[in-house]
Amino acid sequence: MGDLLFEAKGVGKTYGANTVLRDIDMQVYSGEVIGLIGENGAGKSTLMKLISGVEKPSMGEMFRMGKPYSASSILDANHQGIGMVFQEQSLVGNLTIAQNIYLGREKGYSKCGFVNWNKMNQDAKKALGRIDMDLDPSRKVRDIDFAARQMVEIAKVLDVVTEAANGHAIILLDEPTTVLSDEEIKKLFVQVRNMKEQGNAVIFISHRLDEVLEITDRIYVFKDGEETAVMPTKGADVNLLYEKMVGRTTTGEFYVEHKQTVQTDEVILEVNDLSLFGAFNHVSFELKKGEVLGFCGVEGSGKEDICAVLVGDAAPTAGTIKVKGRECTFPNPCAARKKGILSVPKERRDEGMIGLLSIEDNIIVSHMDELSSHSFLSAKKMHQVAENWVKKAGVKCFSIAERINQLSGGNAQKVIFARALESGCEILILNHPTRGVDVGSKEEIYDLVRDMTAEGHSIILLGDTLDECIGLSSRIIVLRDGLIRGSFECPVGNKPLQLDIVQQMM
Amino acid sequence: MKNKWEESLAALSVGQQFAYKVKDDARKDKIRRYAPLILLVIMTMIGAVSQKDFFTWGNVVNIMYQMSIPLVISVGLTYVLLLGSIDLSIEGVMGFAGSFVAFLVVNNSNSNDFGILGILFVILISTFIGAITGIIHVKARIATFIVTYAVGSIMTGVAVLVYQGTPIQVKDELFVVLSQGKFIGIPYITIIAFAIFIIGALILNYTAFGRAVYAIGDNETAAASTGINIGLTKIKVFALCGCTAGMAGILQCIRLKLGQSSIGLNQMFPVVTAIVIGGGSLAGGKGGALSAFVGVLIYTELANWLTLMGVDPYVKKVIQGVIIIVAVTLTINRNRKTISK
Amino acid sequence: MANKKKSFSISDYSKYMCLISIVLVFGIFSIVIPNFIGAYSLQNMMIEAAPLLLMAGGLSFVIYTGGIDLGAGPMVSCTCVLTGIYVARFGNVIIPIMLVVGLAMGLLNGLLVTKLKLPSFIVTLCTTNFWSYIALTLCPNGSEIIPMDKRFMVKWATQKVAGIPVVFIIALLGILLLFIFQQYTVYGKSIYAVGANVSAARLAGVDTDKAQISAFVMSGACSALAGAFYAYKLKSAVPTVGDALTLTAIASVALGGTSMAGGRGSVLRTLIGVVTITGVTSGLNMMGVDPLWKNIVIGIILIAAVCLNSDTKGRDLIIK
Repeated sequence: MGDLLFEAKGVGKTYGANTVLRDIDMQVYSGEVIGLIGENGAGKSTLMKLISGVEKPSMGEMFRMGKPYSASSILDANHQGIGMVFQEQSLVGNLTIAQNIYLGREKGYSKCGFVNWNKMNQDAKKALGRIDMDLDPSRKVRDIDFAARQMVEIAKVLDVVTEAANGHAIILLDEPTTVLSDEEIKKLFVQVRNMKEQGNAVIFISHRLDEVLEITDRIYVFKDGEETAVMPTKGADVNLLYEKMVGRTTTGEFYVEHKQTVQTDEVILEVNDLSLFGAFNHVSFELKKGEVLGFCGVEGSGKEDICAVLVGDAAPTAGTIKVKGRECTFPNPCAARKKGILSVPKERRDEGMIGLLSIEDNIIVSHMDELSSHSFLSAKKMHQVAENWVKKAGVKCFSIAERINQLSGGNAQKVIFARALESGCEILILNHPTRGVDVGSKEEIYDLVRDMTAEGHSIILLGDTLDECIGLSSRIIVLRDGLIRGSFECPVGNKPLQLDIVQQMM
Repeated sequence: MKNKWEESLAALSVGQQFAYKVKDDARKDKIRRYAPLILLVIMTMIGAVSQKDFFTWGNVVNIMYQMSIPLVISVGLTYVLLLGSIDLSIEGVMGFAGSFVAFLVVNNSNSNDFGILGILFVILISTFIGAITGIIHVKARIATFIVTYAVGSIMTGVAVLVYQGTPIQVKDELFVVLSQGKFIGIPYITIIAFAIFIIGALILNYTAFGRAVYAIGDNETAAASTGINIGLTKIKVFALCGCTAGMAGILQCIRLKLGQSSIGLNQMFPVVTAIVIGGGSLAGGKGGALSAFVGVLIYTELANWLTLMGVDPYVKKVIQGVIIIVAVTLTINRNRKTISK
Repeated sequence: MANKKKSFSISDYSKYMCLISIVLVFGIFSIVIPNFIGAYSLQNMMIEAAPLLLMAGGLSFVIYTGGIDLGAGPMVSCTCVLTGIYVARFGNVIIPIMLVVGLAMGLLNGLLVTKLKLPSFIVTLCTTNFWSYIALTLCPNGSEIIPMDKRFMVKWATQKVAGIPVVFIIALLGILLLFIFQQYTVYGKSIYAVGANVSAARLAGVDTDKAQISAFVMSGACSALAGAFYAYKLKSAVPTVGDALTLTAIASVALGGTSMAGGRGSVLRTLIGVVTITGVTSGLNMMGVDPLWKNIVIGIILIAAVCLNSDTKGRDLIIK
């Protein structure tokens, strides 16, 4: 083991009332590759945000080369030799490779304001050469393929951090292999080993255990915002790793399982050979009335895209959707709603609540046609409906005229649930319904979900955690890389083990 | 109905499909980028065939002359459109610059004689106004269409105030020379305009500032993470646009030897159309100096034809409107999620 | 949501800004100008404000969606000309006809924005050329007055009932109808939803196309009516009447406290904005200020109002 490049002691992060990360101790040594694994929401991305300068920790301390470390921005972290290659590409398409690598650092190449592109191209070639990439740096990024772009991003981050900390840089890779072919993954690993040999350290996040086992020296396992294990990769037991990632932490009571309804035999939604090019393929399943169908899969598995297609937000490239036996197409979410499908979106602030509108308006907005006669809305009816729901869902607010963006996350989510229930749609798609919600409100939301099925709604659930998915669902479908890999029945009292599901997911 | 190709695509893994889609989009985008050039070639060929004297020096110079002022405007507008913004104040600033410069040089209504100093002063003020527009947009976080609309209206009003309702006629020696003089057969105005364009293009393509403009228009968050000062860049862009609008106004005044608020009227819209035809995008990130040049050239030729065909000037404006709707519709990146407001 | 510190920010101030402005304006002018609040002066202001009231009221809906209608002025000129020329032949039935014309104009704008997915400022700037074309070709030689013998048909508009001009009463009724539309119809709610958060509105199943189209239709219909009333007021067809009106209408909406980003506002606020701006312009007129200053003043008012109303609380939105 080389020098200690980075250390985290007791690091944690709280968003409002939610603690998403706590008590993290991590050491990063020179010349090693660290693997970071865990379920979605386990805290891996949050830790990366803290290290790479996107966010500041709420508790604990971080050290870089023995001295206290804090980064106020991505650039600041870069200057301290820490760089992250993001999942969402952070390259600018209409500029050349060289211009992208040196974006923001043109000063070294300019005289009286005018940049010498030739000199920059030469240096860019060297930067690319460092990771064995033979690309023409004067080509525009939009003209090169995805894998090449990934490599350019790595070259860019590498160049920036080695400029700041040669041989002692830390590079964070967040799910870099999701869109790469096997060949390209091999090449990537060669580069990762090169970086290692130069004395740098790499933190590698992936949900593909086989890759983690191949490339890393040590593995950290995260679960529910805590570090559950750290072990050397050599001789690591795969089953042990799975075990440390999952494990029931909450009882059935938490998920109000006693209220879990058994679904009827009526098939309310039938999906046949549905495909969306580039997202998922040959997806077929049935949704029965009163059922809670959970979709489990890591990011990129296609589960979010399936929901987007069902709700009318994206057009499938093949396959059919039948609602109550009749084939439908949804050109937009409004059409889907009219056929009885509505979603509670994942991004509450951007796609869920209509921030500037009142609680009342947010509740009735999906049911306006039926609450009106000849397009005129009755104020009395709207008030009544809204008051009823606020009471039923337990929304804590001063009045229904209050703006929804004044409410806490949990309360706002309950309002959106009320909207879904009021909408009259029989098929509800709950996309990460308890994301960013405090524990107390979570329980109330689970109760609402039970009420939904009791009243005859059918639910497709994208759970926040695997635990939640198992607890709430009556059946689970597992997705990986755009295909359905398996399904599990989840009757009360005989719920499947997280272990079994995780193995399919990864 | 599925052919072999579609079947083989469907058989790929999701990751491979995604990579393919990215490649495919890039290819389609490339085709779209060459479309304006192809259009230009076609138009030139039609022109050569239908007009006898199309390729004579005289005709070429004539087209260059008509391109002059739109070309100057296009410099600033290209930067603004690259950001994804719009500058509706160009007409007002042009009107103001033209009126104010007429006011400052030898004219028929007062005894000012500031000459070159007057011209420089007006350019400075126009740049300043552009900077103010940028500052309001950045600091108060107001959409550019509103800020520039308001500033444009104010400047039109100021222009009228300058000449108190009676347009000023310019008598300055320098203006007369510039207006009518030629160098190797090319009018001075045209030379100056093309020079301004070349400088603007150099700045766009060879400075960090120019690259920052492209970066912000394409991916503002990525640009911000590299340490680019987004706000300052935007302010500079609007200052530059104000500067070129001022220069365009002065050139117009030189051409007409008249200073009045309406010299900017109907000047901005055709240039927006031209830039979009040339490959620019209202959403930002696309286009550049070459696209602007091709676009202005295409537009000037089109306008020429319409005048030759004896089309009523009001009808010409309607056709202009239709052209830009068609051009923007064809170039907009369409997926079902986009809702424009 | 846990940091709900009740810090007083400028956008809280905007709630009361419109009331403060109107009080300030009328207060200051009544001190400076004798009889500013006198009957004659007020009646003039009411006649002046009436068409603008309708125009800005309709325009408000487009602004609620987050868009803009830059063609409102030319629409007014267009229908002013049509009314001025044809009222002699058709009588007062020309008003409902103009309403239909306005609906069609707005519908065109709305369809272009929603179906072709074009930004509203481009669409409305383009269609402007079309409305101006109609106005200027029908009336190529400046204004055409309504022949004297037919004047009786339009006199009723500027008559006064209980001291209030009829046009103004109609405008107030119009605002009332617009208010009902805004608060109590599906269209109204949808329009606000689209302006506040179009992605969320869309995913909640709101028909966003219908919402945007209805906003433009409203704006078109109201501008058209305003044009008709201008013809009645000026007793002639004036093809340039709308030239400066777009700016004034937008400034009125902004002054009332409606946000240009959309999602909030009320036609009642626009009402206050219109009255305030009319007060300003009339006041400046009466003070003998050069009319050339009008546009400058209104432009400055617009910028100031928009700045005071803007959402500078650092939402992560990228503003272009």
